Amino acid sequence: MHFLKGLLLSLLPAAAFAAKKPAVDKFQQFHAKALSSAPLKLDDAVYTQLTSAPRDYSVAVLLTALESRFGCVLCREFQPEWDLLSRSWTKGDKQGDSRLVFGTLDFTDGKNTFQSLGLQTAPVLLLFQPTIGPHAVTETGPIRYDFTNGPQSAEQVRSWIGRYLTDRPHPQVQRPINWTYGIAVTTTILGTISFLSVAWPYALPIIQNRNVWAAISLISILLFTSGHMFNHIRKVPYVAGDGRGGVSYFAGGFSNQYGLETQIVAAMYGLLSFATISLALKVPRIKDPKTQQVAVLIWGGVIFVMYSFLLSVFRIKNGGYPFWLPPFS
Amino acid sequence: MRPLAIASAVLSFAATALCVEQGNLTKPLTSRVILPSTFKPPQNFKNANLVHIVSLEKSHPKESINVVIENIATTPQDEYFIPFTARQMETIGGLEVKDRKDPEAGLFEVEAVDFDIESDTQFYRVRLPKPLAPKAQQTLGISYSYLSALHPLPATIAQQDKQYLVYTFSAYAPSAYVTSKQKTEVKFPSTVVPEYTIIPGAKGELESPQKQGSKFTYGSFGEVPAGAVEPVKVRYEFTKPLIHVSRLERDIEVSHWGGNVAFEDRYTMTNRAANLSKQFSRVEFASQQYYNPPSTAVKELKFPLKVGSLDPYFTDVIGNVSTSRFRSNKREANLEIKPRYPVFGGWNYPFRVGYSADLKKYLRKLSSGTGYVLNVPFLEGPKQPEGIEYEFIELRVILPEGAENVKYSTNVPLVTAGISLHQTFMDTQGRTTLTLTAINIVDEYRDRELIVTYDYPFFAILRKPLVIFVTFLGLFAAAWGIGSLDVSIRGKRS
Amino acid sequence: MSDTIVEPFLKGSTGRNTRGILRLSILVLIAAAAIASRLFSVIRFESIIHEFDPWFNFRATKYLVQNGFYDFWDWFDDRTWHPLGRVTGGTLYPGLMVTSGIIYHALRALTIPVDIRNICVLLAPGFSGLTAYATYLFTNEMSTSPSAGLLAAAFMGIAPGYISRSVAGSYDNEAIAIFLLVFTFFLWIKALKVGSVMWGALCALFYGYMVSAWGGYVFITNLIPLHVFVLVCMGRFSPRLYVSYCTWYALGTLASMQIPFVGFLPIRSSEHMSALGVFGLLQLVGFVEFVRSGVPSKQFATLLRGFVLAVFAIAFGGLVLLTVSGVIAPWTGRFYSLWDTGYAKIHIPIIASVSEHQPTAWPAFFFDLNLLIWLFPAGVYLCFLKLADEQVFVVVYAILASYFSGVMVRLMLTLTPIVCVAAALVLSHLLDTYLSIKSPSAPTDADIDAASNAAPAPSKKAAKQDGLRAMREPLVGIYTTFSKTSVVSALTAYLLIFVLHCTWVTSNAYSSPSVVLASRMPDGSQHIIDDYREAYQWLRQNTKEDAKIMSWWDYGYQIGGMADRPTLVDNNTWNNTHIATVGKAMSSSEEVSYPIMRQHEVDYVLVVFGGLLGYSGDDINKFLWMVRIAEGIWPDEVKERDFFTERGEYRVDEGATETMKKSLMYKMSYYNYNALFPPGQCQDRVRGVKMPDQGPVLNTVEEAFTSENWIIRIYKVKDLDNVGRDHAAAASFERGNKKKKTTKRRGPKVLRVE
Repeated sequence: MHFLKGLLLSLLPAAAFAAKKPAVDKFQQFHAKALSSAPLKLDDAVYTQLTSAPRDYSVAVLLTALESRFGCVLCREFQPEWDLLSRSWTKGDKQGDSRLVFGTLDFTDGKNTFQSLGLQTAPVLLLFQPTIGPHAVTETGPIRYDFTNGPQSAEQVRSWIGRYLTDRPHPQVQRPINWTYGIAVTTTILGTISFLSVAWPYALPIIQNRNVWAAISLISILLFTSGHMFNHIRKVPYVAGDGRGGVSYFAGGFSNQYGLETQIVAAMYGLLSFATISLALKVPRIKDPKTQQVAVLIWGGVIFVMYSFLLSVFRIKNGGYPFWLPPFS
Repeated sequence: MRPLAIASAVLSFAATALCVEQGNLTKPLTSRVILPSTFKPPQNFKNANLVHIVSLEKSHPKESINVVIENIATTPQDEYFIPFTARQMETIGGLEVKDRKDPEAGLFEVEAVDFDIESDTQFYRVRLPKPLAPKAQQTLGISYSYLSALHPLPATIAQQDKQYLVYTFSAYAPSAYVTSKQKTEVKFPSTVVPEYTIIPGAKGELESPQKQGSKFTYGSFGEVPAGAVEPVKVRYEFTKPLIHVSRLERDIEVSHWGGNVAFEDRYTMTNRAANLSKQFSRVEFASQQYYNPPSTAVKELKFPLKVGSLDPYFTDVIGNVSTSRFRSNKREANLEIKPRYPVFGGWNYPFRVGYSADLKKYLRKLSSGTGYVLNVPFLEGPKQPEGIEYEFIELRVILPEGAENVKYSTNVPLVTAGISLHQTFMDTQGRTTLTLTAINIVDEYRDRELIVTYDYPFFAILRKPLVIFVTFLGLFAAAWGIGSLDVSIRGKRS
Repeated sequence: MSDTIVEPFLKGSTGRNTRGILRLSILVLIAAAAIASRLFSVIRFESIIHEFDPWFNFRATKYLVQNGFYDFWDWFDDRTWHPLGRVTGGTLYPGLMVTSGIIYHALRALTIPVDIRNICVLLAPGFSGLTAYATYLFTNEMSTSPSAGLLAAAFMGIAPGYISRSVAGSYDNEAIAIFLLVFTFFLWIKALKVGSVMWGALCALFYGYMVSAWGGYVFITNLIPLHVFVLVCMGRFSPRLYVSYCTWYALGTLASMQIPFVGFLPIRSSEHMSALGVFGLLQLVGFVEFVRSGVPSKQFATLLRGFVLAVFAIAFGGLVLLTVSGVIAPWTGRFYSLWDTGYAKIHIPIIASVSEHQPTAWPAFFFDLNLLIWLFPAGVYLCFLKLADEQVFVVVYAILASYFSGVMVRLMLTLTPIVCVAAALVLSHLLDTYLSIKSPSAPTDADIDAASNAAPAPSKKAAKQDGLRAMREPLVGIYTTFSKTSVVSALTAYLLIFVLHCTWVTSNAYSSPSVVLASRMPDGSQHIIDDYREAYQWLRQNTKEDAKIMSWWDYGYQIGGMADRPTLVDNNTWNNTHIATVGKAMSSSEEVSYPIMRQHEVDYVLVVFGGLLGYSGDDINKFLWMVRIAEGIWPDEVKERDFFTERGEYRVDEGATETMKKSLMYKMSYYNYNALFPPGQCQDRVRGVKMPDQGPVLNTVEEAFTSENWIIRIYKVKDLDNVGRDHAAAASFERGNKKKKTTKRRGPKVLRVE
């Protein structure tokens, strides 16, 4: 019903006077709808109607592809921010002084629009400026916002929009307080405190136990020195397949790595140091000469083989590395 | 002691009459004789016959005058004057007069006469070795050259255009006396001479110049009064750089302990050739590199060093320049350096070149006592076909510490000479340093030798090792003394 | 046989002297090795200052040497960051320059004619020798085995992780800072052990020196308080701790505040708050201990403890409040990005753009430390044997440093010392165990044997009560010579590989002064590519004294140092907006960038172009960072998106986007480049793409100089057209008529229009 009317009106010749009144209605009705559920869920028809000139209001449309089969991670990451922004904006001015309508057009509903705009990528945020009225601007084409550097926060997008909506109110983004999170945190804190207070006499020896601390510190050191922080920051894949369907454990190239790779390296380091420790501390404490002899051989052999393997792995990473030990050459 | 040494050193060379104080090197200095300001050269002589040769083959004009002079006075005369304009006096370099008949007689004594600064005509006075009897004749060979006297026209050219130089001189040789017969020959580097002044021949003589090949001849002219001038302007092709060294500092350091002598030359070089009309284009330059056309850019400098020169280096303000080659063998020691970039007209490239050599080649011990004789080339600049001009040269000969009674002699016209001390490498007293300065030198003076004699007493040789030994002794003693002190607050342990 | 001869030398005071001399000579040899292994670049090339920052330090040092200390202290440099200038004296760490200045004047006083450049070049190797010695002292505090210190010194001397920042010519703050770091830690441990004010004061003194030398002093500022805090938590509070820490903190803070650049940061910025907090905590604990010693009542003690906790909590809350309210500066970006690792990438592209601020992949660790990296955990474990205060320090240091080095490549530098120490500890322990001549015949004389090799003996005592599980049984020793020889020979082999590795790494990876590039001729001879200095020297000699040079900030310091010309931006990236301005000028079209250049009085623009030579570190490859940084300030004038094709590729050939082709940087890089090739064969050897035959057209700037291999291209910014046309019209007119007419005729310089 609304659609037909809107379509008809929009088809009318865009004489200033004739177009002005319905255009006002157009904004009002969309704004009314937005107040109930922002952002508006659009499809091709509504999109064309909403963005058709003449308009004396601004439209911010997010063209996105939410369905998982498109595998658009960015879309899904940004969607909540977008909803939050549009909601809080619309709440921000109920009168619609900013004369801005938020809309979301999913690929599934708006294939034609996507094609007509020739969009390869999603999400894309389009901002349509008014063509008539007090805020009218000369160029009619939408302003395009690309998400080149990662998912944006609602505030960033708001400031971007605000840059074009001069002399109009820019409502703040109200982030809802995350109650569940807060409650969870407080409960965990209280729980741990109470648990500690109860279990203190039992926990104390564990806390004061050297072995525990030694283990903790050694593990952390092994983690850090095997490039775990790199994985954490660069978000490297855990493991990647080589071309021939198999799994390549070691990433080529000096300055990149896989998650599994770092764990293998950490394990090697750990084994090597453990062997060293046993050679240094355990072995000289073995009473029986025979067992001691055997232990020395075992641990020495472990170190030798492991180190040789480590060198060979490093030769994979760094092409021209000249040094190696048998057996892995 | 030292003032005497200075005095002797100064007196030892005739050409430098008195030692002008160091420092005011802004206006060119020459040695001068003071004469009353109302001076006119007495008309005692007559130039019977005169040939004036202007050679423009190099980047600086070189003029030589062969003149037969005749004493027309009644008494024997030994003072012959040569006039120059004040501007010429500023840029004239290396005026030398010798007897054409016996060149072995050596150079005559020449001094610039100073009588009136305002006057546009200045004089050089030549003192003949023995007075010339009346009516007697003598043949003088006078040679000199001007610095920065050539100017490119047009002043800016494109990167591989040809360059044309303009030179203005007088068809009549400068003379303070009546000249009965003279002609002027101009030698050009090539036959391409687009413009030159034509002098109509007077009464039946054919007009000047007559050309054969790249040689023009003005005259011969008949009797010409004293100081007459016939301006001639020539414009000729010269597509070579005009290398101009505004300042050259040359250090020669003698080390008896090291047994070597170290040379270091610091050049402040500019190219006076025509500037680039457009900016430098690497593409053009690179495309030219294959066939190597004549260019006004300095691409390479060749230093033929004395045979046996060792480990040369070529650096500039920001470090070593890797584009230098040194070929050394029994017969030659050639250092060929390339500036970091081709030095086009108007560009500067200051650099320094150094090398060392075995002391035995340059130093000889006198049989008598502790005297030594050092014989080094006064100037070992690059040897370029187009020649090089040096506006100012400061030569420092750094003798070993404690060398005394320094004398020197060279036949390069000097401006100042002085002896000072130079502190380096843990010197206690400082090394005796002989500093000589000269101006307006052209590269004909390359390989003129400088002979320095000095005494180097035995104690001076042993001074440094003794000093170092004593110092270390003191250090150890002090260390031991301090180490044996007990500065702890708590009382002695028992 | 032989031991009968050497007998007298190993006994009594003679023995002590012999060992002393032996140790001394070994240390001297180690120092010599450390210095020698850093001289590759000097031998290969020449004594030259290396890549970028060192050139500024070198320039500052020359300024200090020429104009004296006080002028240096309030040096306002108007030849950088034109037209803003930089308060250089107040915004640098003067320690390095002052050090080399002192050395210079000392040598001059001995009338040794040494060039300041050579001092600067050789400073880092010289100090690496000292670092080795400091490591020796530090390790000796950790272990009773004399060999540990020597091993640690040797490791420290040749470990690539430290060489990377201290080869001859890399005249950077780290050159002396690492020595100061280690030595300060040594003094701290000493002070803590003895509990003497003198050592504490010495520690504070060297801490002050460290502050004056390197921004990394913050590491000390946080590590020592952390150590103290851990000790207190372990219930190890002692008067020694109190005295040493309070001395260090009070004096050290005062000392650090003498540096203009640091000023009041120690009491205003969050990096330093931990030190302050621990200081307060110590006061409280000390007070409590004192009272408790006086009042024996149990409840009172507990009450006190509660009181202490309360006060501490309150103080902490206050600190947080102050930070929030802004009285105390929050963490600086660089430091903050250490914790919130994603921070820099989003907020500070300049920091993220620097390669040495990237996280560290594991090969880098192995590359820089080789076998030390797996000896390291073992050594740390060894520290748990007898967990005295100093061992706790090692553990804390180890964990903290390994975290930091994992986050930022350059912080590998702070990790290296402790790795060397820990590895030396375990290795010396191994050697002591397996090199002892006498083997136990029966388990009974284990104690004698234990006495013979010093290291494990006390640990065994400590092991009795709550020891590590490795220490349950009593020490016996190694029985067979075979096992001894096998282990020792294996270790020797590893150590030999380590030495080879270090030499290889140093000579291949860390010894090139990126100012001069070396390439191999077809015949294998070395050919030196010296384009940088060629262009800089040209600038220095043939442009007027105050010609402003615009280039990307990487080259600011080099231009200042070698070309001696004013620059717009340089590697001291204190003003993001100014850098973004340059980025904008580079990445926008000529019409946009020409006014910018006029307003900044730019005379010449310098770009680095590796296309001809295949030199990958050129400006086109850095271009995206310029765009990003510019986009940070002018988001709607410069858009990174516009430099990528529709398919999201970064291309420079025909497929490049219009914005790319219009951008000044692109034009200046490829201007006239196609003229070098026969038509249809023009190609970019870095990007490995074929370039269009029609090169870009420049209107507002003209090529002034291009170095031999095209690495540096210098353009002259045209003056306003003296007939009043815009440059595009003028240029097309010039091209239109065939006559070569000189473009020298220039109107007078117009005034800057704001």
